[in-house]
Amino acid sequence: MKTRIKELRARYDLTQEDLARKIGVRRETILFIEKGKYNPSLKLAHDIAKALQTTIDDLFMFEDE
Amino acid sequence: MKDKIGIVVGIGIAAAVIVTLYFYVQNAGNLELNEIFPIGIVSIIVVSVLYILWDRIKNIKKGLPAQDERLKLTNYKACYYGFIASIWSAVGAPLISGIFFDYELEGHYVTAVVVLFGGLTFIISYLYLAWKGK
Repeated sequence: MKTRIKELRARYDLTQEDLARKIGVRRETILFIEKGKYNPSLKLAHDIAKALQTTIDDLFMFEDE
Repeated sequence: MKDKIGIVVGIGIAAAVIVTLYFYVQNAGNLELNEIFPIGIVSIIVVSVLYILWDRIKNIKKGLPAQDERLKLTNYKACYYGFIASIWSAVGAPLISGIFFDYELEGHYVTAVVVLFGGLTFIISYLYLAWKGK
């Protein structure tokens, strides 16, 4: 899974910690999602998308294995 | 508030274990290898727990949660591994002791092995999974 979180964070000038604080998770969780090491729950994906003013579809790109 | 209570309880338990260990070592005289080994495992567990608590305090001070959904999942996975390790150590410890040392392990030693091995597996799994992010 690939994400555009890093790109959108840069657009809104948000650090990982700022985004983590906004959605109520730990900074490492944002880091692992960005690296594709952790698949967030639907609720967390929704919260991240809302915080970055986008949609889940736009934020996460799933690749067929 | 719940996180803070958890941290205070955790520090209290860790302090109680450290004090107990201190008095045990003070009064034990010359320690043998079979006594040093469990003390070492307990020390590793206590130091790891203190590290986890310090990490949670650090996050709370920054205004971030002590635990989120990823760490809760990590916790569940580590609990599962610890549980499996406990079951297998209850079966394996008497067998290994009997086969390799020709010594029938007494019940309280088996209990100690189960608790220590399960605890060690839990803490190692937790730290590894938290570090790897999976």
